[in-house]
Amino acid sequence: MNDLLSILLVASLAAPLALLGACFVKRWRQRALALQWLAPIPSLAAGLIGMTGAPLSRDLPVLGFTLYLDPPGALLLAVAAALWIVVSAALWRARRPDGRFGVSWLLTMTGNIGVFIAGDLVSFYLVYALVSIPAYGLFAFSNDSEQKRAGAVYLAFAILGEAVLLLAFVMLQAGEPHASARIVDVMGALPASPWRDAALGLIIAGFGMKIGMVPFNGWMPLNYKAAPIPVAALLSGAGVKAGVIGLIRFLPHGVTLEGWGVALAAIGFLSAYYGVVFGLTQRNPKVILAYSSISQMGVITAALGTALLAGHADASFNVAFYSANHLLVKAALFLTIGAFATRGTRLSPVWFALAVALALSLAGLPLTGGALAKLAMKPQFDGGTVGLLATLSSIGTALLMTHFLGCLAEPPSGAAEECPSGLVRSWPAVALAALLVPWAFYEGVGGDASKALHFGEILDGLWPVVIGVVLALALRRMAWSPPDVPVGDSIVFAERAYLRLLNVGPVFEGLDARLRQWPAAGLSLLLIILSLLTAGVSGR
Amino acid sequence: MELGTSTPGGYLLVLAILLPLAGIMLSFTLGGRNAERVALGSTPFGIVLACAIAFEVGQAGKPIVYTIGGLPPPLGIALRADGISAVMLVAAAVILAAAAFYARSKFATPDGVRESRSALTFWIMLQAIWAALIIIFVGGDLFNLYVALELLTFAAVPLVCIDGRPETLVAALRYLLFALFGSICYLLGVALFYGAHGTIDISLLAQRVQPTPVVWMAAALMTAGLLAKTALFPVHLWLPPAHANAPAAASAVLSGLVVKGSFFLTLRLWFFVLPALHTETAAVILGGLGSAAVIVGSVMALGQARLKLLVAYSTVAQIGYLFLVFPLASGGAQTWSAAGWSAGLMQVLAHAFAKAGMFLSAGVLAEALGHDRIGNLRGAARVLPLTFLTIALGGLSLMGLPPSGGFNAKWLMLQAAVASGQWFWTLPILVGGLLAAGYVYRILAPALSDGQVSLKVTPMRSQEVIALALTMAAIVLGFAPQAFLDFLEIGRPVTASSP
Repeated sequence: MNDLLSILLVASLAAPLALLGACFVKRWRQRALALQWLAPIPSLAAGLIGMTGAPLSRDLPVLGFTLYLDPPGALLLAVAAALWIVVSAALWRARRPDGRFGVSWLLTMTGNIGVFIAGDLVSFYLVYALVSIPAYGLFAFSNDSEQKRAGAVYLAFAILGEAVLLLAFVMLQAGEPHASARIVDVMGALPASPWRDAALGLIIAGFGMKIGMVPFNGWMPLNYKAAPIPVAALLSGAGVKAGVIGLIRFLPHGVTLEGWGVALAAIGFLSAYYGVVFGLTQRNPKVILAYSSISQMGVITAALGTALLAGHADASFNVAFYSANHLLVKAALFLTIGAFATRGTRLSPVWFALAVALALSLAGLPLTGGALAKLAMKPQFDGGTVGLLATLSSIGTALLMTHFLGCLAEPPSGAAEECPSGLVRSWPAVALAALLVPWAFYEGVGGDASKALHFGEILDGLWPVVIGVVLALALRRMAWSPPDVPVGDSIVFAERAYLRLLNVGPVFEGLDARLRQWPAAGLSLLLIILSLLTAGVSGR
Repeated sequence: MELGTSTPGGYLLVLAILLPLAGIMLSFTLGGRNAERVALGSTPFGIVLACAIAFEVGQAGKPIVYTIGGLPPPLGIALRADGISAVMLVAAAVILAAAAFYARSKFATPDGVRESRSALTFWIMLQAIWAALIIIFVGGDLFNLYVALELLTFAAVPLVCIDGRPETLVAALRYLLFALFGSICYLLGVALFYGAHGTIDISLLAQRVQPTPVVWMAAALMTAGLLAKTALFPVHLWLPPAHANAPAAASAVLSGLVVKGSFFLTLRLWFFVLPALHTETAAVILGGLGSAAVIVGSVMALGQARLKLLVAYSTVAQIGYLFLVFPLASGGAQTWSAAGWSAGLMQVLAHAFAKAGMFLSAGVLAEALGHDRIGNLRGAARVLPLTFLTIALGGLSLMGLPPSGGFNAKWLMLQAAVASGQWFWTLPILVGGLLAAGYVYRILAPALSDGQVSLKVTPMRSQEVIALALTMAAIVLGFAPQAFLDFLEIGRPVTASSP
């Protein structure tokens, strides 16, 4: 079994890379791109097999990479691969995106698969860069100024995140006494490392940029607004989970770090509410979903914080399950925008009911996958203040998602054309799958799904949703008009600060021009001689 | 350490020097089209010889030595190849061969003409640069190295102004005059060393040096001279115009190799002549200048309107990284010092290959589009896919993203900075990476977006492939195994200078 799994792990990366290689031969390019929906199949298989059983670690010869699969990673790998397969197949069936889009797509796919199975620092860094940077090409190769702006902002955060993580990883590596780069080893050495706190701070900031943690949230609404629906579905569903797996892998488990736990929980809940409040000010359903992602990722961050606070060792699995549910539902919700825009007013009650169930699944509506996700998180949000805060966030999510359903009637322009026709036709199946697939996995990974069917549990899940929906309807009835908040809220301040930063350009140019004058250069040379001489003679 | 005797394989060093020198003689005497044939024909042998030297060094596990005429220093002259010499010999041979084959179309002697001035100059100067670099990499005494350094400058300057346009003449003159300043400083330093210790052989000096004011004066003068020739900020005045105005093949050699020659001698001075002294403060000064170069060079690159000038300012920035090796590898026997040392050399190699590839691509681009204004590149990737792939891969290494030699260099550099507690060096490294991402983005984002660009001339596929092959070398360096890093340590003195 382990041999099969090792082969599948290697194939998970080899398959998309082989197709990528084929793209460099002009004759094969179109064929390779049309077949790329097949590339995540080994990952799907590896994920399904690896979901149960002990973690598997394999060192690849020559390249020096380590592949690693544990059940939380396998769960996310499986659902992410399934999403890539469905969306890729539908997109390339409906139309033929050009080569640069196709290559960006394949690179992002490779990185996305890779983050769940990378087992050492350098290869994790590599695949993390792959899932972040080429995604720019999925929505920003355009002359539209808003898309260009979204692309530039996205890339700025991606690159900044990379820089922060580079330093973090260097510290992790430096703290490992035996020079092993395996994530398991460096994380084992972290609690005793002299660089522990600096590394943790950088890790939280770095991955926080990927998951839209406040105050690094501004790029996400811009990005999902600018991206075509299939791209937004993938980035919001699978792409963002690179940040989640990053936090799962690089936060210590089974160790109590009170300060970091409190900080993480606080910033998580802050993001959870922040997303709801700012999402309510928006009318574009894509943007609302982006704010909902900020909020949901906040819940995940908070859960990781409470786990750190209590020293829970098994939180990673619960968080992974919650993320897997979010992955499916969020992607399905983006497709809902396209499907509803195409259908226009000819909506059957079944479609509407499915959309409601899907949207409220995020708030933990009983009988949906969301209810299971909530159940899975229960050990993290057990009682007391955190329990109350978690329930409040459920109410907020129900409120925001009802607002989303209301805004579905006015889809953004182009939504109907963006969504591949195959996905529009099969939308009910997609929605049902997003609601039910978590049930299939929950049993498989050792959870007790029947618990979610207990009357008390159902009631527990229902009342926050009802309150949220009622609140939303009341706001609607009151014709409450929210303040006008720009998409991406705080990002406008960041952009303004950036523009101000550009003013240093002329200052540097002046400096450079002056230093490149002959007298200045001669003087510089003299000063260099004198300072080196003084440095030497002064004896140190 | 035995100083005086030749080791097995030492004769290879002589052959390596004789090959380009013989090529120059032949080119002069045969003249005309034969200069090109000689230069192109000798480069493959150069690569083979360099690889053979590297093999010998790896086999022996210690430097290989040849004493000319069997006379040991201080009377005779010794040639020495250690790990870094061997690696640099290979890199130089590969990049020069690539530049030579790339330049074939531009510097072919036209039909019906027996000899053209620019072609003859180009082929002879290219070989002269090669000869000078080889002597610099294997030279064992400071005066020999001075001669090689002069040869390098006098061969490089004509390449800048080879097409005779007024602005290239101005750039070349600037280069020549400032480089001569540098030469004078260096020579003064050598004279002081000779006066103080009666030898200029590197190994003998290393045993004899005392921390006297004379020695420090000599070191300061030599370093300043070398910095002037390396164009480290703030004495970089000549580099941007010279590198941006030279023909592409020449720019690739100038940016990729020639500035590395004088940097290599700076390494020799501080790590091979002076390791026994307390050099920490001086190392911090050099690292500080390097950091300033990283920041100023990158910001200047961000503001350039022309691609070749952008790439030239990027060289100013990347040279800055090289000088971080002084504080990061000065710990001698400390474990982190090995990481710093590997990082420095990895940066030399990654930059040499990536930048040579980028300059060649910039040349293809300028030729094909008739201009190299970044503002007019919208949609250009559609018509020049291979060239922009090369620029993207080169950019990857400059930014320090994996997999690339640039990433490995940064990874090791940061490791040395963190492990040695020298936190402040992480800042220029990271900020430089962000700024590099900015200027690479400025080239690639418009080129990849929608837009119509028409080709003036169809690019030559062979030129595009040569440029791509060079940047691929920078990418492959990202997979360098530990054994390669160990190879770089061969022959490095590890006298602990810190208490």
